[in-house]
Amino acid sequence: MSERAKTGDATISRGRGGSNALKSYLGAYGFMAPAGILVIIFFLIPVAIVLYLSVTNLASSNFTSNLAIMEFIGLKNYRTLLNDQFARKIFFNTIFYVLVTLSIFNVSLALLVSLLTTHIDRSAGFVFRALWILPRITSPVVYILIWKRMIAEAPFGIINQFNEALGQPTFNYISTNPWVFVVVVNGFIGVSFGMIIFTSAIESIPKDLLNASLVDGSSKLQRIRYVIMPLIRWPLLFVVTYQTLSLLTSFVEIQLLTDGGPGLYRTEVWSLTAYHRALSNYFGNAQWGYGSAFAVLLVMIGVVLAVIYMRVFRFDELIAEPRVEAL
Amino acid sequence: MKYKLCFTMILILLLSMLTGIAGAQDSVGITIRCKASPPEEDWRCNNFAEVEAEVEADLGIDIDLNLIQDNAGWGDYKNEFVLASEAGEAPDIILSGHEDIGAWAPAGFIIPLDDVIGMHSEFDDIVPSLWDSHGYAGQIWGIPQDAEARPIFYSKLLLRDLGWSEEDIESLPDRVAAGEWTFADMLATAEAAVEEGIVDAGNGWWHRPSNGPDFLYYYYGHGGEVLDMEGNLVVDSEALVATYELLGGAVASGVLRSDVIGLDWNEVWHPTVAQADTVLFAAGGTWNWPNWSINYVADKGGDEFLFENIGLTLIPAMATGKAITLTHPLTYMISSGSENPDVALALIAAITTPEHNNKHAIDSFHLGILNAQLESEAYANNRLLSSAHYMLDHTTALPNHPGWNAWSNAYFLGIQAVETGEADAAGAADIAIAQMQNELGDGITVR
Repeated sequence: MSERAKTGDATISRGRGGSNALKSYLGAYGFMAPAGILVIIFFLIPVAIVLYLSVTNLASSNFTSNLAIMEFIGLKNYRTLLNDQFARKIFFNTIFYVLVTLSIFNVSLALLVSLLTTHIDRSAGFVFRALWILPRITSPVVYILIWKRMIAEAPFGIINQFNEALGQPTFNYISTNPWVFVVVVNGFIGVSFGMIIFTSAIESIPKDLLNASLVDGSSKLQRIRYVIMPLIRWPLLFVVTYQTLSLLTSFVEIQLLTDGGPGLYRTEVWSLTAYHRALSNYFGNAQWGYGSAFAVLLVMIGVVLAVIYMRVFRFDELIAEPRVEAL
Repeated sequence: MKYKLCFTMILILLLSMLTGIAGAQDSVGITIRCKASPPEEDWRCNNFAEVEAEVEADLGIDIDLNLIQDNAGWGDYKNEFVLASEAGEAPDIILSGHEDIGAWAPAGFIIPLDDVIGMHSEFDDIVPSLWDSHGYAGQIWGIPQDAEARPIFYSKLLLRDLGWSEEDIESLPDRVAAGEWTFADMLATAEAAVEEGIVDAGNGWWHRPSNGPDFLYYYYGHGGEVLDMEGNLVVDSEALVATYELLGGAVASGVLRSDVIGLDWNEVWHPTVAQADTVLFAAGGTWNWPNWSINYVADKGGDEFLFENIGLTLIPAMATGKAITLTHPLTYMISSGSENPDVALALIAAITTPEHNNKHAIDSFHLGILNAQLESEAYANNRLLSSAHYMLDHTTALPNHPGWNAWSNAYFLGIQAVETGEADAAGAADIAIAQMQNELGDGITVR
């Protein structure tokens, strides 16, 4: 074969290779497109709008939906926010609320419930998990009304009625222990999400792997530690990341239970402040621009935390190849 | 013959089309949005249905009336109107607190009424002081729908236990109005009730458990002002400190609970106060009465039980020496997006009569807005209204200003701080003033 012919073949080969690569890219982006479009429509565009609102003085008293005629005030809202004497307190309230609820309920208790209910009779496990899902599927208003009736002060609250019957002192629990109930109320809802994810992950582990570990002499605890836990790292990352972001932005239950009180912002979290400022005001003149500044910082915190989680959990490795299949 | 028939049919067709068009032109759609606690406040919107035919006859038009009435939360209700206005879907008439004029007038969502009020003689009879709370930038922007008083409810039951005679109890409103029995006397009485075990510590006096207009009268009672002569926001630091001293002192002396803010209205506050056997003095609103009668003491006799065991009086005099109350009139405002503001105003005028306003006043225990109501038999013979109407002579109101929400939220922060012990009175005032200055900047003057 002549040199020319060889060169020609190579050119054709490269052409085919380039075409295949292009097809491959197009295919990949084509499959990603629906999700990408949703992210653009429901995340990037709203974030851009809220970012813009945060540099305007938009309020009920000058409200308009026309971005072009909103009054631009630069970083004034952010300066007001940073000078707010309670911003630091609300920030640390948020950190506390997310860390405690996430670590105790949304991850640890969810994992514990999953492990326990997958190691008992299958029907019994199903019943227990169904019970844990009840707080999630109950309307937040109904759910909080139930809690309020339970912890109301004497003679109205159920817990205090027991206290009275037992000759014990009664309490206004919302006043004495607001954080306990804010965390517990939200935690009971949060457990179900992780429980479903972890349970499905545990159930999907091939039975021969689990049995093999027992044959090798491991105890059930050792099997959990050395077989199950490594195989559910991906769901664990997902639950931790998703629930962190979910807790950062959740405020409905807190609003209904304490509305950020009692006293000076004792249970006020960042997202509730954004809501209070931008969307709810007893005396009407809601501060849309100022509230947006709170929301923008919340988005930034969420994005930073998501990136940190991905690094810590080595996201690239987790999505590289299914570990179960590799084994 | 055929041509004549055809001509006649075409003529009939054309006439019927013209009639149809004329009918369509005369049909005017009016949407009215009201917030009301059912059933006692339903006349706020339902009154319009009562006068629909009358206004149709007067104006010679057909009105397609659309009443939207519920008991949504104030925050959501107000946002709904703001968003609807911007979307061009606002109701023709919106009923809301008069303080919303301060936000909605500058936004252009409602129209000024100065030039058209004179077209309806019904408005001439409105109690003059009520117009004060409907102004902004030198113009009138709403028509009063109701008035109210925010009194102190006192438990006759517990005062009897404390040794008060029936004469002492029944004369209390008059003595308070005359400035003879002051807020200090009220706190001393409450303290005595606690010391003697008539009420538990903290149950001598309850104020409302959430932010709201009531709190402003403590500040007014100490000579504080919210607006200066030019209509700019001000805060009087001395009055502020004195107000916080009063509230903090009441907690320290065991008269007021430190956790009264945060109590659930419906789970704790109303059911407790309505029984008259737990709390000696409670700062509430006249409209609480029918709510208690219907929802909390109906099994004990409703109104009769309340008359026997609860009385109401003005807020006793504080530093200014004058007994006061605060009225928060709800206001019918006409949307700038209304295509038929003249029809909307005619409807409002038609219900601004003693006959129609009395229905609302009597059912919901809101005070009348018309001078003629006082002389009407239904109003004058109503035991509750006749016992409370004099309070309008002592009333104050919220300001109409876009910065009012920032002012009031900061003021409320100070109240929370001093009552929970997180700051003393001076510290609470510092917190409130710092918050006002941070959010209002040059828009607030500290005096």
